[in-house]
Amino acid sequence: MDVNDPHLNDPAPNDTALNDTVLRPREVVPTAARGRKKPWFAYGVLALALVAGGVFVAKFLTNALDYYCNVDEVGVKDGCDVGRSIRIQGVVEKGSVAETGSVTNFVVTFNGVSMPVNLSSDPTGLFQECIPVVVTGRVVENTDGSRVFEGEEVLVKHDENYDKENEARVDKANAEADACSART
Amino acid sequence: MTGFMTSPRNSPGTVAVLDRAPTSTTFSRVLGIATLVGIGWLVVFGLFLSPNDRVQKTGVRIMYIHVPSAWLAYLAFGVTGVSSLAYLWKRTRSLAWDRLAGASAEVGVLFMGITLVSGSLWGRISWGTYWTWDARLTTTAFLFVTYIGYLAVRDLGGTHQQRAKRSAVLAVLAMLEVPLVHFSVTWWRPLHQNETVENGKLSGLMLFTLFVGLIAFTLLYVWLVLHRQRVLTLLDQVDDRGLDVAIAERRNESVPS
Repeated sequence: MDVNDPHLNDPAPNDTALNDTVLRPREVVPTAARGRKKPWFAYGVLALALVAGGVFVAKFLTNALDYYCNVDEVGVKDGCDVGRSIRIQGVVEKGSVAETGSVTNFVVTFNGVSMPVNLSSDPTGLFQECIPVVVTGRVVENTDGSRVFEGEEVLVKHDENYDKENEARVDKANAEADACSART
Repeated sequence: MTGFMTSPRNSPGTVAVLDRAPTSTTFSRVLGIATLVGIGWLVVFGLFLSPNDRVQKTGVRIMYIHVPSAWLAYLAFGVTGVSSLAYLWKRTRSLAWDRLAGASAEVGVLFMGITLVSGSLWGRISWGTYWTWDARLTTTAFLFVTYIGYLAVRDLGGTHQQRAKRSAVLAVLAMLEVPLVHFSVTWWRPLHQNETVENGKLSGLMLFTLFVGLIAFTLLYVWLVLHRQRVLTLLDQVDDRGLDVAIAERRNESVPS
């Protein structure tokens, strides 16, 4: 196309078929507003999701993989060492819960191995006798070789058993005793 | 794209008003009513007819929301993954699969959010904490943000086909996380309890109420996805129309008046 053609900007002949196809260069006008906006919101959400995902992976590796040690694994299994900050899991022994000042004392048992716990916080949730719990704290070994768990926080590990309240009421004491022995 | 714009070619500046057909059909209206009935049943059974648990007391009722919403989130992400595979496979490639994947993921994120909130409330009254970084909770949180990320990727722009292809690849990968979450209670040692229903630890009216919850949530899922994918189709059409209008306007400029 010859840009110096004096007839370049002349009106096109009045022919509909041709008019439809003739597209002359138009004046340069700002077109930014016409274009699509950059999806900043989507980029922001994606960035947040990536950061959160990274945090969750880190939490999974540092916290979730070895969430707790069973009581019988303390001092035996790797990572369940005495003196180290760990979580222990066991069932609260029947008749072992007592309060001395701000400390709650109880015994947790798993696989026939028991450990006394001195809990410095208030037990919450469904905490009660014969229920599995996870206690955060550290195992302290006394000079006589006996061990005690200095607990900071207790979480109730509700198991997968569901029972009607009324059914259990028939012989509640027996049911609890059974549950206690079945869980340890 | 074509066929949607009904204006004649020689008056390209005017485009017909969008087809105002609603996103509902007779089927979806019946489904909507069935969903409401199902939720009504769930309220009656969940709050009034089902018994208290021996240990959890009335707190057990949260399960009738928590478990169905978790299962439906799994299903939703599964549907997203399978639809994405259908899009990626050349013989079945269609944007309809992509929109179904997107709609299902949106509803899945909603259900996963309900799972996390209801579980957190139950955790406070049963465990004694709203949150802890155990295997089940951490993998669930990861699954949740994965699909939020997936929805963000769908909105990054480009053509419909670009959106479909990149999000489909992500959805197929993300689908692999679902078994990770489900089996986290057996593969690792979380605070979260083990599988209850599969192990047959639920019976009588409690099991039935959970079943009612599952039916109600499934109906709700289908209803939501049905409507959402229709809305997504309309949104795509609006986008296409925007392009049609731009071309029409440009053509108009060339016609001397």
